[in-house]
Amino acid sequence: MKTLATYSIKGGVGKTTTAVNLAYEAARAGARVLLWDLDPQGAATFCFRVKPLVRGGVERLIGDRRALATNVHATDHAGLHIVPADFSLRHLDLQLDDTKQPTRRLATLLDELADQYDVAILDCPPGITLTSESVFTAVDALLVPTVPTTLSKRTLDQLSAFLAEFRTDQPGLPVVMPFASMVDRRKKLQRELVTGLVEQTPGFLPTVIPNASAVEMMGVQRAPVAVYAPASPAALAFRQLWTDVAARLWD
Amino acid sequence: MLTAPATFTAREHDPSAAIATLTEMGFEFEPARPVTRTLLDTFDGRVHDAGLRLELRDGGGVELIVSGPGAVPAHLSVDSVPRFAADLPPGPLRARLAAIVEVRALLPVVRVTATQARATLRDRAAKAVAIATVHDAVRVDGRGAIDDPPWMIEIDELPGYAKRAAEARDALERIGLIRLDGDTLDVAAATAGVALGGFSSSPTVPLDPAMPAVDGFRAVLANLADTIVANWQGTAEQVDPEFLHDLRIAVRRTRTVVAQGKNVLPPAIVANARERFGWLGALTGPARDLDVYLIEWNGYTATLGADAMTALEPVRLLLERRRESACSTLTEALRSTEATEWMSTWGAWLREAPRDDDARGVHADRRLGAVVAKRVARAQANLVERGRLIRPESPAEQVHDLRKDAKKLRYLLECFASLLPKALRKTYVRRLKAFQDNLGEHQDAEVHTAMLRAISRELHDLGASADTMLAIGQLTERLDQRRIAERAEFTHRFAAYDTAATRRDLDAALDGLT
Repeated sequence: MKTLATYSIKGGVGKTTTAVNLAYEAARAGARVLLWDLDPQGAATFCFRVKPLVRGGVERLIGDRRALATNVHATDHAGLHIVPADFSLRHLDLQLDDTKQPTRRLATLLDELADQYDVAILDCPPGITLTSESVFTAVDALLVPTVPTTLSKRTLDQLSAFLAEFRTDQPGLPVVMPFASMVDRRKKLQRELVTGLVEQTPGFLPTVIPNASAVEMMGVQRAPVAVYAPASPAALAFRQLWTDVAARLWD
Repeated sequence: MLTAPATFTAREHDPSAAIATLTEMGFEFEPARPVTRTLLDTFDGRVHDAGLRLELRDGGGVELIVSGPGAVPAHLSVDSVPRFAADLPPGPLRARLAAIVEVRALLPVVRVTATQARATLRDRAAKAVAIATVHDAVRVDGRGAIDDPPWMIEIDELPGYAKRAAEARDALERIGLIRLDGDTLDVAAATAGVALGGFSSSPTVPLDPAMPAVDGFRAVLANLADTIVANWQGTAEQVDPEFLHDLRIAVRRTRTVVAQGKNVLPPAIVANARERFGWLGALTGPARDLDVYLIEWNGYTATLGADAMTALEPVRLLLERRRESACSTLTEALRSTEATEWMSTWGAWLREAPRDDDARGVHADRRLGAVVAKRVARAQANLVERGRLIRPESPAEQVHDLRKDAKKLRYLLECFASLLPKALRKTYVRRLKAFQDNLGEHQDAEVHTAMLRAISRELHDLGASADTMLAIGQLTERLDQRRIAERAEFTHRFAAYDTAATRRDLDAALDGLT
């Protein structure tokens, strides 16, 4: 099983949107996918119409190795399952801190399901916290949605610097795959910033996710974009994003 | 762990009562539509042996589905039926399948058509919590309609919503439906008598050490003839390289058993069979050598770098053309009257009752166990004697001859496997195989280096680019290094084989035969 995380220090950059659509596209492309909603807001859980309920709360989810499996729910899409979030996940950092090896804990829990799935996608809350460090240890790749602004570039640099330090303790983990998110193609500055990011940032994926009304409709439709707008540029972009990721991880 | 779908049926001729029950529970039915499900597997059933099912489902769109007991099914929309795992787009499904089926083609095992009506039970958020599917008018291609059971209903339990599926199952049981083993595809295939496992090309003949030797040899040869026949068409049609591999091995095993059957089988039969199977074996050689070369090609060239791989493309294309030509020659030979009549004659002789004494070998009535023990012991003694004579300066032909001796011994052990204790046979064969692997790698490097040198001359005359010639030089050197390394390894591998433990294991395995 390959583990990915949609992650950014910043909020509101399209992490959940990416997690939901990428999980759907991965499943559509033949992968057995587990999406783990780690964000107490539970937006990914909401998008799949699953009840926001962690059985036994975050305490049991993190404390009991078998609890992850008992929290798995089918979505309405073949090959795609989700571990829902609820508000108890706001204590995830505290709960991880109570374990023996907090930065190894998420990896240990996911190991229990490694034979069942080809891909696990973790939808992470923003920030650099203990949860983030546990995510960095658990994943093969970090997918970093990057909105084309000068501040986003700075945040990406901060993440790279942090990971460089982190890797000295955890060598080889993880590969960073930033990509342009919420891009308004009509704005010249954004187009130029995207070109610069793709050309100058190592590992930056070429696919651009547009800022589109079809994406905004996800909260209303409660489904991945490709379900209700399959031919939309956004749906096609998420499909291409999965193709890029799969080519890097499986080719 | 995922729970397998529960399948139900009843004696009534239509499922209306069951549909009414599910509708009352809140299941919403979609209009019924025809769905064709084709089970795909390799000829030797690798997907089945891996505990999985590969299904092509056509019910509007076409989907490839990989599933298995307790496993999350993987779904992939496809435009055409994949012939090989490599035909699928890059990703985990291709990686999983490729690891299981390797170079084998995916062939249809059974095709089941039905009218399917899918029903979904949803919660207040309109989320699906249980799925029911009614399968009616089920037909198996080539076997006709399945009328017992007349129809089936599957209840799919969705992870996280076990209770809702359990309620549906209970409701169907309450109205008298009968639960069946397996899902609709399993039930339809079983009812139509379609076996889902593949064909095994490994010798599998139950033998008794006390039986007359001639009966044992005939039984083994008949089993090998079945394997040759089973792989004949796939080889002729060039379905995948493993048909030729399995046919070639079965021919070689036949040649070994016939040669070892001297004085057991009728002399005229031995002479004729040695000649005919020798001819057939020689026919398969060039195509198989080129198959192996092309299968190994990426492994050979990948370490040289992308530029060298591109420069070597003319070589790969030339090998491909030669393989096509060798395969066409083989196909023609396999379809010739000479070949088909021989297999027919051979099959007839194997099936007919043993004839009177003058047509039998002089040792025909000896105990099979004693004859096989003697043959194996002699093959082992020959192998060790010849192996001890090999020095670093010995010519490659001498190593090649030793490889043939090792193969003969291995074939004898495999063909008469049921006579030998399994555990001892496995320990001994493992040691022999480690030694054989070294001989095989050496031989492949030797053959492939020679082939590359010949191709190099040919491409040079055709005006190949300097990059190509340079890359051929690099590859030749790499193969030659490999050949030298394998040759250097020979002494250690042979020493590891030629031990008291090997002799003890073999003696113990043969003890029970005499």
